[in-house]
Amino acid sequence: MDSSTLSEDIRERIQDIRTADILVGIPSYNNARTIGHVVKAVQAGFAKYFPNKKCVLVNSDGGSGDGTMEVVRNTTLRDARTIFLAHKAEPFVTITTPYRGIPGKGSAFRTIFEIASALGVRACAVVDSDLRSITPEWIELLIKPVLDDGLDYVAPLYHRHKYDGTITNSIVYPMTRALYGKRIRQPIGGDFGFSGRLAEFYLTKDVWETDVARYGIDIWMTTTAIANNFKVCQSFLGAKIHDPKDPGSDLSAMLYQVVGATFGLMETYADVWMNAGGSEDVPTFGFEYAVGLEPIAVNIERMIDKFKLGVNELGEIWKEVLPAEVLEFLDTAEKLPAEKFSMPDEVWAEVVYSFAVASHGRRVNKEHLLRSLTPLYIGRTASFVLEMWDSDATEVEEKIERTCLTFEDKKRFLIDGWGGIKN
Amino acid sequence: MGNIFERMVTEPIQRFLERVLLFLPNLFSAIVIFIIGLFAAWIAKYLLGKFFRFLKVDELSEKTGISSIIAKSGLRESLSSLIARFVGWVIIVAFAIIALSAMNIFTIERLVERFFLYLPNVFVAIVIVILGSMLANFLGRAALIAAVNAGLRVSGLVGKAVKLSIFIFALSIALEQMGIGKDTVIIAFTVIFGGVVSALALAFGLGGRDIAREYLEKKIKGGEKEDEISHL
Repeated sequence: MDSSTLSEDIRERIQDIRTADILVGIPSYNNARTIGHVVKAVQAGFAKYFPNKKCVLVNSDGGSGDGTMEVVRNTTLRDARTIFLAHKAEPFVTITTPYRGIPGKGSAFRTIFEIASALGVRACAVVDSDLRSITPEWIELLIKPVLDDGLDYVAPLYHRHKYDGTITNSIVYPMTRALYGKRIRQPIGGDFGFSGRLAEFYLTKDVWETDVARYGIDIWMTTTAIANNFKVCQSFLGAKIHDPKDPGSDLSAMLYQVVGATFGLMETYADVWMNAGGSEDVPTFGFEYAVGLEPIAVNIERMIDKFKLGVNELGEIWKEVLPAEVLEFLDTAEKLPAEKFSMPDEVWAEVVYSFAVASHGRRVNKEHLLRSLTPLYIGRTASFVLEMWDSDATEVEEKIERTCLTFEDKKRFLIDGWGGIKN
Repeated sequence: MGNIFERMVTEPIQRFLERVLLFLPNLFSAIVIFIIGLFAAWIAKYLLGKFFRFLKVDELSEKTGISSIIAKSGLRESLSSLIARFVGWVIIVAFAIIALSAMNIFTIERLVERFFLYLPNVFVAIVIVILGSMLANFLGRAALIAAVNAGLRVSGLVGKAVKLSIFIFALSIALEQMGIGKDTVIIAFTVIFGGVVSALALAFGLGGRDIAREYLEKKIKGGEKEDEISHL
């Protein structure tokens, strides 16, 4: 049975190209405004760093109505008048194709993996289509560890504002590190490099009709690579600045998707994470430098209000999930004035682990469960912001490190809770 | 004289005794049928209990939240025991009806016939109420969580209102199914629902003018400081 999602046109195109060394994929959906810059950066990266390699750029589009695919087709380095083109010995190829399957970033990636597999490429990378800070160096940093050092998976490492990426900093990074023992700082960064071998491995997984196809592909790629013993590393890419997201984008939906995907992977790889202890650094590439970041506005009072509202209204649901001591702490914290408000690492780790156990035991409807985490997450974020108000980037990293160590220390709590549920 | 006595007293008594004698076997068979029904109900309850335990129905009901709905409705039994008990009662009622029919009494036969015709309505109504209660709990909780996440101070009220509205709606459909106060129920529901909406509109319009103005000003002029945190 042919399970390929590639259209006849693309297959013919692949037959014409036959093979390639490097492939960079850009998933997109209505990104006409920003994708031109990303395409130019990728093409410049090919020209500057891989002049003697056969390179392919694939745009896997979700049916954009704003001319995204036309922008990709019409963008060339000639417009940019860069000097890199003079060094490029091998021409690069651009493929634009609408992906097939369930709408979502995962389906877009599947098409990219299939093209990579059909062309037998050695190294691939995927980058977001709304990036403003991407440079040609990103392509080098995501591809070279695979080509030159034989690594299979390159996660990104960015400098971000101290209050940015809070889901990553307070849930996904500490959990991925505590569960699987690898210190990958940005497990859901969105821009990754990987070997052709790993792309083929991804394709063997039967996940393309699940939520992985819709969302959660980032954490799925990272976890799958670590849990299956592929060689992983990270590359410092500088600042990550992307197009502002829709202000109406729902935080609880984000949490549901990201945390739900993380918990879902815990089911798949229970044997792996239960037997992993501690954590270790992974090789890090790139030259780290300080990045100037624009200040961001935070409304602490409103965050604490939302936390308090959650404690008052969602206690019935949390009673089914959280241990008595945590519930007691929440009741006390709810009465604290804003300036004294705090949610320690120990409590937060127990909250996240208890939600993971409840999700495993299906004690509460999964969507209700994960969306009810929002006020607790907001409370934790408020506590983090208050604690780090006067801190610099280094102190913030130290704080995140302490949180991660607490998650590692509390792993027994998770294992005991998880094991206590009979399926 | 003797002839008159025979016609007025003895013959009616004889006819009555003949009828009693004719009826007795029917009564006896009705009693036997009913006793068999009791036994059948007991055996069915016992076997169903074992079967549900084998299928782990109670664990499933724990996981899907059906147990908590049952507990909240004031019942202290497990789902499997409730179903077994329900099936037992259905068997007892069915055998009782068969037993009544076996007595060959015209009035009872008509009543039984009407009862049988009405029974599906009762069953459908029960199913509607159970499903409605489950849906009300589920959507009430979803509304509560969504309201809390949106930062609404009246989240609890929103959750309860959604839950109650759906339950009342299900109840009105169930009553309509049973043919009880068909139009009254629909009118009452419409009046209550319309009344609540009008009351809310008035309350917000009169009592919350300032809040509404403040809210619109904030939305249009951007009065409140928005968070710029990128969570992912």
